[in-house]
Amino acid sequence: MTKLIDEPTVRWPAAGATRVPFGIYSDHAIYQREQQAIFRGPTWSFLCLEADIPGKGDFVTTKVGHSSVVVIRAPDGGIKSVVNKCVHKGSVLCHEARGTRKRPNLVCPYHNWVYDLNGKLTGVAFEHGIQGAGGMPGDFDKAQHSIKALRVETIRGLVFGTFSDTVPDLRTYLGPEMVSHIERTLYGKIRILGRASQVMHNNWKLYIENSRDNYHPSLLHAFFATFKINRLSAEGGTIQDAGSRHHLSFTKRFTDVGHDAYRSGIMHAMKDDVGLKDPSLIDQWMEYPDNITNAIQSIFPGFVLHQIMNALGVRQCIPLGPDRCELIWTQLGFEEDTPEQTEVRRKQNNLVGPAGLVSMEDGMIGYLVEKGIKGSEDESAVIEMGGKTAGSMPTRATETSVRGFWEYYRELMHV
Amino acid sequence: MSNVTRTPEVELSAGQRTSIDRLMARYCSVIDNAEYEGWPALFTEDGVYRITTRTDFDAGRDFGIWYCCNRAMLADRVTAIRGVNVYEPHVYRHVIGPTEIVAADASGASCETGFIVVRTDVDGAMTIFSAGRYVDRLVFDEGRALLRSRVVVADSARFDTLVALPL
Repeated sequence: MTKLIDEPTVRWPAAGATRVPFGIYSDHAIYQREQQAIFRGPTWSFLCLEADIPGKGDFVTTKVGHSSVVVIRAPDGGIKSVVNKCVHKGSVLCHEARGTRKRPNLVCPYHNWVYDLNGKLTGVAFEHGIQGAGGMPGDFDKAQHSIKALRVETIRGLVFGTFSDTVPDLRTYLGPEMVSHIERTLYGKIRILGRASQVMHNNWKLYIENSRDNYHPSLLHAFFATFKINRLSAEGGTIQDAGSRHHLSFTKRFTDVGHDAYRSGIMHAMKDDVGLKDPSLIDQWMEYPDNITNAIQSIFPGFVLHQIMNALGVRQCIPLGPDRCELIWTQLGFEEDTPEQTEVRRKQNNLVGPAGLVSMEDGMIGYLVEKGIKGSEDESAVIEMGGKTAGSMPTRATETSVRGFWEYYRELMHV
Repeated sequence: MSNVTRTPEVELSAGQRTSIDRLMARYCSVIDNAEYEGWPALFTEDGVYRITTRTDFDAGRDFGIWYCCNRAMLADRVTAIRGVNVYEPHVYRHVIGPTEIVAADASGASCETGFIVVRTDVDGAMTIFSAGRYVDRLVFDEGRALLRSRVVVADSARFDTLVALPL
């Protein structure tokens, strides 16, 4: 008898989160299950920025896992999100990346079925036929054919959505540690400075592990060390929410010198101190009273908020298939920034993104893992740096947040 | 859509035309032949180089995924390409279209040139890596044309794997 639905072949080793079976990155049944269990499961996914849809009727299309969704600013200023799929034939309702709807509705381009912003079907073209002929059957009930609406919540200009009716509210999902860092980082009125993406030839989870792996940066990314930018003692640590689902790693620089000198304005790097011909690349100002200069925050399942000195941005990781994913980078500043501060951000933006002097290796390291593990799907990665458990740690020499990711992943996926 | 104002009739001398043609060809050859050290010399001392996307360019956003604002920063990028950043070896092949002069005066010219870049990877795979246009401001200097500013406007905002080499 033909088996219609593939069952995952991956068996998790008894050692738990310190081992990751390589098959988890390539198994098609695992990939399909993730769409329901993770992306349509009890999780919140980043959708867009409020600054993407400032005006009434402004919309963007984005993805939650594989699913295309529309995010739109309603007439009352609120934000609505629905699955971008007509209930009739399944066409997308919005085929543009962004735009503005004059009317508060969504209309399928195929047969002009009309929905309100809550996903309710309000109009079917020729529902009653033409001159008494044709039309939908008498028992057709539009109320039975709504499109799925997502719950939407915002925090500091970030818009999140979920398919789940049971997941707690966004702030509870994030936990107070993550909420306070988001609110701390995005302290102003957000301005979008640029956006680009990179397609990585690896499973999305390899990138998400990378975003939580604070063991690798000083080893894989040679830029800081080569140009002697890590010149002062770096105090740092790893913070998680109570459930170890989300991750924050941070570094404080300039902690062995007086702080006041750096609060006054832009610190100009000295040519003698670094190997750069133009050290103004790393001019910076102490933007935050906590003196944290580098912070990477990774929210389950696929969202990252980063601060690399004064380069601020968000990353949205979208799976494109078992062996491909897209990482969308949006560079941020604030409306309150001075022109000098904007120029500092513009220069430091060279450190991140698809061409980032610091980050570019992350675009290919997952692919190197994919190449390495081919044929070894029944073997496992060893994740023991910093111990065998998850939890916050006063160090960055740890893979604690990679283990935290897998613990929650396994809970949702039943693997 | 374009943020560039076009002047329909622009007169350039034959010498200026030739210097522009030489600059365009040389720009491609220093990159495609992996002579990256020659790349900063095609810019003025205060030359600006930026890679951005068509969407951002049309929206008037002046950030990009790559921004240098003088020759020293361009040279730092070359250092990174040669010995700092880690990536699988690959080469580019630029194919450029005719250069449209959109404005000119005694000091220089503004022009646009379409491009396609094919990337060849270490395993032999070839990809259309990027297509778009160069939005340039050139200055004429002792018979040569130099880039005062080159904005690479990539048609796609999506880049495969990473952008290690200049477009």
